[in-house]
Amino acid sequence: MKQTLMGNDAIAWGLIHANVDMVSGYPGTPSSEILSGVQKIKKMLSLPVYAEWGANEKVGFEVAYAGAIAGKRACATMKQVGLNVASDALMSAAYIGNLGSMLLVSADDPGFYSSQTEQDSRVFAKFARIPVLDPSTPQDAYDFTKLGVELSEKFKIPVMLRPVMRVCHAREIIEMDDTTEFKPNEGKFVRDVPRWGAVPRDGRFAQGLDQLERVEVIAKYNWDHFLKPQFDGCKGGELLIITSGTGYGFTQETLKDLGLEADVVKIIMPYPLPVKEIQACFDAYDKVLIVEEPYPCIEEQIAHPKVYGKNTDTVHKIDEMKKEEILKAFQKIGFYKGENIYEAPKIDLGFSVPARPPALCPGCPHRDVYYAIMKVFKRKKSIYPSDIGCYTLGIAQGAIDSLLCMGASVAMASGYSIADPSKDVVATIGDGTFFHSGIPPLLNAIYQGHRFVLVILDNSTIAMTGRQVTPSRVHQPIDIKKIVEGMGVECMEHHYSHHMHENVDFFKKVKEKYDQSTSGPTVVVVREFCILDAERASDFVPNIYVKVDEDLCVACDQCTTVYKCPPMSYNDKGKIEIDPFLCAGCAGCLEIVCPTDAFVVDENYLKKGK
Amino acid sequence: MKYQVVIAGFGGQGVVFLVKVLAICAGNRDIAFLGTENHGMSQRGGAVSCDIKIGDFTNPVIDKNQADVIIGLDSNESLRNIAFLKTGGTMVVNAKADYPSLPFAVARVDANAKALQGAFPIQGLNVYMLGVALASVKDFPFSIEEVKNAIMQMNPKVAQQNIKILQMAMNDCK
Repeated sequence: MKQTLMGNDAIAWGLIHANVDMVSGYPGTPSSEILSGVQKIKKMLSLPVYAEWGANEKVGFEVAYAGAIAGKRACATMKQVGLNVASDALMSAAYIGNLGSMLLVSADDPGFYSSQTEQDSRVFAKFARIPVLDPSTPQDAYDFTKLGVELSEKFKIPVMLRPVMRVCHAREIIEMDDTTEFKPNEGKFVRDVPRWGAVPRDGRFAQGLDQLERVEVIAKYNWDHFLKPQFDGCKGGELLIITSGTGYGFTQETLKDLGLEADVVKIIMPYPLPVKEIQACFDAYDKVLIVEEPYPCIEEQIAHPKVYGKNTDTVHKIDEMKKEEILKAFQKIGFYKGENIYEAPKIDLGFSVPARPPALCPGCPHRDVYYAIMKVFKRKKSIYPSDIGCYTLGIAQGAIDSLLCMGASVAMASGYSIADPSKDVVATIGDGTFFHSGIPPLLNAIYQGHRFVLVILDNSTIAMTGRQVTPSRVHQPIDIKKIVEGMGVECMEHHYSHHMHENVDFFKKVKEKYDQSTSGPTVVVVREFCILDAERASDFVPNIYVKVDEDLCVACDQCTTVYKCPPMSYNDKGKIEIDPFLCAGCAGCLEIVCPTDAFVVDENYLKKGK
Repeated sequence: MKYQVVIAGFGGQGVVFLVKVLAICAGNRDIAFLGTENHGMSQRGGAVSCDIKIGDFTNPVIDKNQADVIIGLDSNESLRNIAFLKTGGTMVVNAKADYPSLPFAVARVDANAKALQGAFPIQGLNVYMLGVALASVKDFPFSIEEVKNAIMQMNPKVAQQNIKILQMAMNDCK
């Protein structure tokens, strides 16, 4: 059956068509739509599938992996930095293995579109000594998902599927199974303490020996099933191109665009590789070029004097794949001597086009809360550690000084408070991130008596990745305030208001409490909403639209530098203007934001959707 | 066939909707296509562009100097993507009269002004600009009937409104 699908939906269908009936994980761009896709299919076809988000990636992996130990076909989904969180579980699971099937989907983000690192999950698979499959297109993503589930069950070991953003978020017509005859698996835990409870040294040492042997067996499988058939069809000549994932599609198009011909081998499984067999094929060529992203995973395994790639400075080492980069690599090794057809004609517009830097959505309560925090805790006397989520975009307002990884704001607030006690440390973290990994560092700060302010921005959703549910929202709702109180400290609570003075007044109270405190964190939860949350936003947004009184606007830049709402910009008269199509009607700018009160209610404002 | 379209705008303008419409058009004629989205971390109000490559392609990204058409739902976003337009390509753009002159064919309409005057609701801006592209790009790969069918398939509930806007754009460009 032909169907137009995005890569992540293709993976979701692949899981269902492979009879995977336990899926867990944690949202993270570009992986998020896989699990929500399974949830949609489950609902549509009323399938008996467990498909729920875990509290974090490690928890998600462990829930799924236990299912795989007990004979189920299971899958955990996450983004590449999420795998860092799950890695402790993965490294041991790679020794212990599984009876059913364990597919780990770790989606990479070459080009840093929405990630703090460009790390290559294939290298992580190599580190863990588990096989990894690298799809080139949504069609591959569907096929390799099914393949990965089968291989995991065959070799009794977790298998990784590593799609990149250009696969996850690509769209094409794919060919998939005509019907869905879903057969759930019977879960049956079989006691085998020496295996499931392997203890150092002897137990794990024995599993380590098995692991080494297994890697050899899988490398041979890789040769017999995926590589030999391709090498058998190769002609030999000037250049052999070995590629995987998106590199394959980019390479093929570049060759066509330039009218060049070369043997191209697509590596389906970048680890483990049958190194000797591959290297033996190099005899028929002058040079071998490796095209892969983002790290030289294949290149380092098959390093050889004829091999060119990132480590020989032939292929670009950072940023995502581009045909222009492959063209340049062809030039460097003398395979192409023509011009750069991917160079844009130089156009002088006579002015620079204003960028649209990342910003919080119009109407987002985070903006107002940051504004209020900065009104009370002044920049000069404060340090603002923050965290990973939509609220990271508060950096545009000057409301954030440092970012590291999920949950780090809390422990870094501890560290800053010790290192520079002359400053007020005010950390911000969202509710999703707090649940994910903000609780242990808060516990640490309380028992160590670290003095800082922690503001938990609770919009009751994981907003940045597409508004997945948080533990406060489903099943047995869990309240952040009670978690904090359970650790023995007060949790100040504030309900966000579009009357800015109420937010500012609240943070004045927070500062009073903090100033009086001598030890331990001052913890605050601000109840907010997400402006894009269809279920909740309409209960909170006042639909009060705003215009600018041009006689009052003195072009002081306050709103464009500290408040930073996307609809606000200067018009040709040098006055602030509000873009009617972007204003969300949140009324947040009516108080305090403008020193001359130039923002006024517009009764005749263009109403969206009317 | 080989045809590459970049659609540029900002979050909330319905850039992805247009890609889906073109994808359905291609699918209905059984032509292969690959599409992708480019956006950073911000959602509403952040820069968004989508690439759609119709025909025999093996990766979804449009390189510089390759696009046949750019549909710019926003003036600045159209200019920020101009490197992708090939020599001889067409820029279809929603912009005011002060839009700079470019070494390409330009089909410019001030669709914001039309929406403000009440000609159509602002949510229809994307479909309006698709109508402008249909009317002004000679080698556009799909006919108005094909686009109307695709819009019907997308969401029959709002299709009539969108088809009206599409037709309005075509008439305005005559």
